[in-house]
Amino acid sequence: MPLIRVVKVTKSFREESLPVTALDSVSIEVEEGAFLAVCGPSGSGKTTLLNLIGCLDKPTSGNIYLEDDEISALGQKELTDFRLRKIGFIFQDYNLIPTFTAIENVEYVLWLQGVAPRERRRLALEVCERFGVAALAFRRPWQLSRGQQQRIAVARAVVHRPRLVLGDELTANLDHKTGQELMAFLKELNKEEGVTFLYATHDPVMMGYADKIIRLYDGRILE
Amino acid sequence: MLLFKLAFLNIGRNPRRSVITVLAVAVGLGALIFLWGFSDGTTDQMRENVIQLVTGHAQIHAKDFEKKLTIENTVPEHRSLVKRLSGMKNVVAVTERAKCEALVGTSENSRGILLVGIDPVREVKVTRLLNYVTRGKFLMPDDKRGILLGNRLAERLEVDTGDKIVVMTQAMDGTLAGFAYHIKGILHTGSQSLDEMSAYITLDSAQELLGLEGEVHEIVVRLKERKALPAFLASVKSFLDLKVYELMTWDQVVPEVEQWAAWGEAIIRTILVAVMFVIGVGIMNTVLMSVFERTKEFGVMIAIGTSPIQVMKLIFFETFVLEFFGMILGIIGGYAVTGYFGKVGIAFPELERAFSKSYMSTVTYTQVTPAHVIQSIIILFILTSFISLYPAWKAGHTEPIKAIYKG
Repeated sequence: MPLIRVVKVTKSFREESLPVTALDSVSIEVEEGAFLAVCGPSGSGKTTLLNLIGCLDKPTSGNIYLEDDEISALGQKELTDFRLRKIGFIFQDYNLIPTFTAIENVEYVLWLQGVAPRERRRLALEVCERFGVAALAFRRPWQLSRGQQQRIAVARAVVHRPRLVLGDELTANLDHKTGQELMAFLKELNKEEGVTFLYATHDPVMMGYADKIIRLYDGRILE
Repeated sequence: MLLFKLAFLNIGRNPRRSVITVLAVAVGLGALIFLWGFSDGTTDQMRENVIQLVTGHAQIHAKDFEKKLTIENTVPEHRSLVKRLSGMKNVVAVTERAKCEALVGTSENSRGILLVGIDPVREVKVTRLLNYVTRGKFLMPDDKRGILLGNRLAERLEVDTGDKIVVMTQAMDGTLAGFAYHIKGILHTGSQSLDEMSAYITLDSAQELLGLEGEVHEIVVRLKERKALPAFLASVKSFLDLKVYELMTWDQVVPEVEQWAAWGEAIIRTILVAVMFVIGVGIMNTVLMSVFERTKEFGVMIAIGTSPIQVMKLIFFETFVLEFFGMILGIIGGYAVTGYFGKVGIAFPELERAFSKSYMSTVTYTQVTPAHVIQSIIILFILTSFISLYPAWKAGHTEPIKAIYKG
């Protein structure tokens, strides 16, 4: 059974009074443990698709399932809880909480889940160790390089063992070498721990890391 | 606890803004404490002025005397009553008076006055009348033809100490009675009505003038403190026949004082509302700015699983922390300033004429009333909590997509 099923999903909205269809009857299936890239030009609907799967938005029509749960039918409270427990996010701008140290940023999701302080510190340090940023754990985000910040962001996204990790242009702000290192690292994590990755990119090099590529154009899937 | 830590860290993000907010709360609360202290000090002095100037804490008359000032309406069995009152708990002193309306005049001027016969020895234990003699001397028990006049009355009559005046009134038997008196002293109490409308002679002289034959119109009681009044009244009512006597408290004798106090309180409350509004707007501005600056951050927090309630709690807590430190500073500052002026006083010498109508002193000693401080804190706390509702709601309902992608 696939981990994610997107069934005939359409997302439309109004932009400056004009109707825009960001996704038009899109259907996809993502198997558990997949390393999947969503690609397409700017405005093709990559981010919209990721936002819908990530429970940050609701489709205008169609259904989205994560395992047996129809997430497109959940209320705001359930969606928040769903995101907290089952999904990890990696953003283009890393978006770490600037007042927290690196380790506190990683711990934050565990705190939201109610994990005891000692345990969450242990788990967060463990992940930082694995990602090679343990030595930077007590630095603030502004004391870290872009690559280091993105590694901390990845650590935050996976520390609670989510079923799915979503990344939106996660290497766009990194130089080529650091971007490739990060992708190799995520791929390794995918292979070793079976975490499902779904990431949006328009960089052909980054697409190369994917097991499968979903190509979007004007809100439709190109076969 | 991580949320509390985040709140503390966020406060430190923009130290200048946080300090300004803390100072706004501190100055606001300090001002509230001081203003309320000023109001409390003023009204308390007004009350004490009335009590010590003329009324004592309580008075006993024959039924309906104070309303009509009928001279035949003397206090029944006043000697035994005075003896009983003198032995009561918390009673410092008791004195007796005779009172009537009279005409006082010289060959050129005359005025209608309230003539009060006092026992000079006992009167000074009950009121501060002695302290208000600005020229001449206070009455002595054997001053059969000495009189004290208020300074304004003396000005109107164009007389001074040593001058002779004539006092005329109706005696008990209905005949016209009159004596000539030497002005022994001039009083300046600061109370317009007393300084313009009152004259004092000895009780013996008043009894002789009115033909009272040892009777009196008024028994005045001074207690240790105002707080003892309710218990004293309860005790007196247990033995005093209120069909025969009237028992009046100081504020029933001079009701204007409490009216002035209520008016002053209303003004202070109006000022408080204005001060609260200014503080409130200041805090709301700061919190809103801080929320708008962090829209993206709230979007990310909500995206990764923070609930709107947790974000709202964060904003509430940040506001509370600023408020807490502001309040601590405000309480310290408010107490310090109010305490200082409670000792040295604030003088308004140029307002003496205006103040004299309301028994106010020209020097106000501010006074901290803990209940009012607590009220100020509660009001400010409720206000700022209410004010932080909107920014908190705004932060809690950040739309992650808009916040993250559009900033």
